[in-house]
Amino acid sequence: MISIRGLQKTFNARQGRVDALREIDLDVSEGEFCVLLGPSGCGKTTTLRCVAGLERPDCGEIDLGGRKVNSTSPRIFCPTEKRDISMVFQSYAIWPHMNVFQNVAFPLTQGQKRVAKPIVAERVRAALKRVQLEGLEQRPATDLSGGQQQRVAMARAIVTEPKILLMDEPLSNLDARLREQMRIELRKITKEIGVTTLYVTHDQAEALSLGDKVCLLNQGQILQVAAPHELYTRPANLFAAQFVGEMNFVQGKVVGPGQVETPLGILQAAVPAGVPTGAAVTLAMRPEHVRFHAAADQAHQTVSGKVTIANYLGEAVLFEAVCNGVAIMAKIAGDADFSMGQTVAVELPADRWRVFP
Amino acid sequence: MDIATDLNIADQAADGRQRGFTFFAGALMALLLVIVGLPLLMVVLMSLRTGLPGEGGALTFVNFITVYSNPKTYHVLVNTLLFATGSVAVALVFVVPLVWLLMRTDVPLKKTIMVLLTVGILIPVFLRTIAWILLLSPKIGLVNQWAMQIFGLDQPLISLYNIPGMAFIQGVSFVPGAFFMLAAAYRTMDPSLEEAAHTSGVSKLRTFLKINIPITMPAIAAVMVYLFMTAISVFEVPAIIGMPARIQVLSSLIYSSTSPPAGLPDYGLAGALGAVMLFVGLILAYFYVRLVRQGKKYAVVTGRGYRPREIALGRWKWPAMVFIFLYLAMEVFIPFLVLFWTSLLPHMQLPSVEALATVSWNNYLTMPANVGLRPVLNTVILMFAVPSVAMILSVLISWVVIRSEVSFRGMLDTAAFLPHAIPHILLAVGLGYLGLAYRNYFPLYGTIFIIMMAHIISWIAYGTRTTNGVMIQVHRELEEAGKVAGASKSRVLWRIVLPLVAVGVMNSWIWIAMLSYREVTMALTLFTRKNVVISTVVWQLWGNGSIPEVSALGVVIVLFAAIVVGGLRIVLSRMGTIGQAS
Repeated sequence: MISIRGLQKTFNARQGRVDALREIDLDVSEGEFCVLLGPSGCGKTTTLRCVAGLERPDCGEIDLGGRKVNSTSPRIFCPTEKRDISMVFQSYAIWPHMNVFQNVAFPLTQGQKRVAKPIVAERVRAALKRVQLEGLEQRPATDLSGGQQQRVAMARAIVTEPKILLMDEPLSNLDARLREQMRIELRKITKEIGVTTLYVTHDQAEALSLGDKVCLLNQGQILQVAAPHELYTRPANLFAAQFVGEMNFVQGKVVGPGQVETPLGILQAAVPAGVPTGAAVTLAMRPEHVRFHAAADQAHQTVSGKVTIANYLGEAVLFEAVCNGVAIMAKIAGDADFSMGQTVAVELPADRWRVFP
Repeated sequence: MDIATDLNIADQAADGRQRGFTFFAGALMALLLVIVGLPLLMVVLMSLRTGLPGEGGALTFVNFITVYSNPKTYHVLVNTLLFATGSVAVALVFVVPLVWLLMRTDVPLKKTIMVLLTVGILIPVFLRTIAWILLLSPKIGLVNQWAMQIFGLDQPLISLYNIPGMAFIQGVSFVPGAFFMLAAAYRTMDPSLEEAAHTSGVSKLRTFLKINIPITMPAIAAVMVYLFMTAISVFEVPAIIGMPARIQVLSSLIYSSTSPPAGLPDYGLAGALGAVMLFVGLILAYFYVRLVRQGKKYAVVTGRGYRPREIALGRWKWPAMVFIFLYLAMEVFIPFLVLFWTSLLPHMQLPSVEALATVSWNNYLTMPANVGLRPVLNTVILMFAVPSVAMILSVLISWVVIRSEVSFRGMLDTAAFLPHAIPHILLAVGLGYLGLAYRNYFPLYGTIFIIMMAHIISWIAYGTRTTNGVMIQVHRELEEAGKVAGASKSRVLWRIVLPLVAVGVMNSWIWIAMLSYREVTMALTLFTRKNVVISTVVWQLWGNGSIPEVSALGVVIVLFAAIVVGGLRIVLSRMGTIGQAS
């Protein structure tokens, strides 16, 4: 549905030239929910705005629904209003001089896909029902709460039954509780109407819970495109490992096949093929795979450490134990019985290490 | 000592401090009411009295009857209406495209154009008017002389001495101020409101008509009302062009009543006319405030910083640049060039070989003798005293309005804003009457101090708008941190707030000093030999027909303003703005 090839964009900012996008290639298939994830300035919003036509890339090809909307040669640029897209903005962009009905009806009365008046009313009401705002048609836009504005923006975006839905951090201005609720509703609505969605966020928890596919960006480049589960368990590089979820990092040197020398001793870890002996590597393990034992025993391979942090989260406890000068984080079930200053045997299962050259 | 007693004492101390603060705020309020209210009261009083100021006498409505049963009055009111409407129309014809071009398109040289617009504000309106008269006067105007030469006409081609001519000059002078007002409102419009329309499939033209215009309408309407308010009370253009042509508007009629060329002044007449001007002005001020409030509802500033894509003008770039250049020519280049040219000659003539032979710096060299020291001294006194007093008062008032819990601080703010709605001519006339009628209590009449007072009262409104804005931006928590660290309220003001607002305050200080520098309406109305300032010297020289001397003085006035403001602005922009809440 969305096909991006070789997208490049440079901005001239006050501090100098900024390479916002360097050769972005991405495909989103029909009905897929693709999340663009990354820290500030990574290029995710620029990519979205290029797809929307609000930003003009320096070069690159963009195809929407099989139709080329942007091309370097021959020079093609389809203006935003002619693309079959809808967009939800971070600030919601609800027009203050109209009421809810007029806001949602606007694409149908003033846009490209206009319909007859009775159908407009029907479609608006259906859209408002989907976002659970029935009955608020006559409310003036300036009298809406943040959450309500967000839903009106959503209703306005889906009322035209678009092929492609673009969303620019639509939940970031809501408070935490509302954000979680809306997250679930958003996914439900997009799946119900079956629209191809491109969603921008910097919140990795949001990305993992919403996307069919997550595209991780940093400094204008795509670092990994994968399903959430894949991205979390098999991050392709150090940045992905550290950006998505919590991760323990240990520096080491390869001393043999599957053997890495570290400050914690010689550890067994699956060294990827092609990494020679003597090379410096980084070992990474998720905190939830680290186990604590009250005392060392023969059944498990452990390292001795002292608990320095115990952070109670409710459903789990986030511990930190220092072993030979290396701080290791562990996420253990809430009824874990270890206390500050206690010496524990830290188990680091060999099959859970990921090795990054 | 138990805790309860300690708390009691602390409570009483806090109460005492709060009371002291309220007392201080009350004193400020009283001061404002007096300095604003007294001149207004005088206007009302003089409308109800006959005879000379100080003669006393019974209160009567006879002035109103005389004025409003005279058909001439209605003629004057119609003139005023036509002049005001015309000026606003001319201003809008230039302002709206200018704002759109500079804020939304990729027209080149934006920074330069904005600097030139600011220079336009510095050229006093009376100088610009004089320059245009030198061009378009039927008798002496250079354009007419040139047309008669070239085309052999025996009639002048075009005359400025009519209402369209007056409206044109006044409208052109309104543009820079209106531009910055409208541009500020434009800047607070969320660009994603347009983008949301585009992503909804709405064409660019339809977005402009259905989104841009309705959302910016309150701001445009507010500017229109503000301009109209100013246009019905403005004096300089009607005085220089209208009076010689015997076209009277309300302000020039009021002036002629109080400073007649011959005979005794008629303050009763002035008062009766002024009461109407005041009444209309206050109604318009009410609408203005309401429109501004509605405009604020529509202003949503996102922190995102995504400016909308500039509309590429393509081949429309050239017509746009021509339009902008034409405007700047009328506002800045042509007046300055005309003044400069005439200042170099012993008498006005068209550029020609003979004329070039007579070019010299004579008029500049004889200027000190012509002008004398007193006007310069008086102007300097004004330029230092007025902004200093106005800004000190503004800072104190804003401190109370923005930062304190005093219950009537809203009213204090309104009282500070009121002078904005009072026409300058009325303020001056009222103060003049006060000085004359009650000269035993207020021995100010005829001194530079009465002009100083008029200026201070006028510009407290401007000062407080700025200091309000600046104080709001100094985050409350910066002050609270000072309090927690143990500093007293005045120490917090002195060491934390003031340094942070310093740049904003100094910007306003300069601006008010320049407003005093180029002001002529009030200085002329309160004019006596002792309080002559540079702007009234220009008026006198023009009245005498000393055109080359006027031009020379005009050129110096403009250059001085440009150098001072330009230089200080550069210095201040280097210092930057610190402590702004993010």
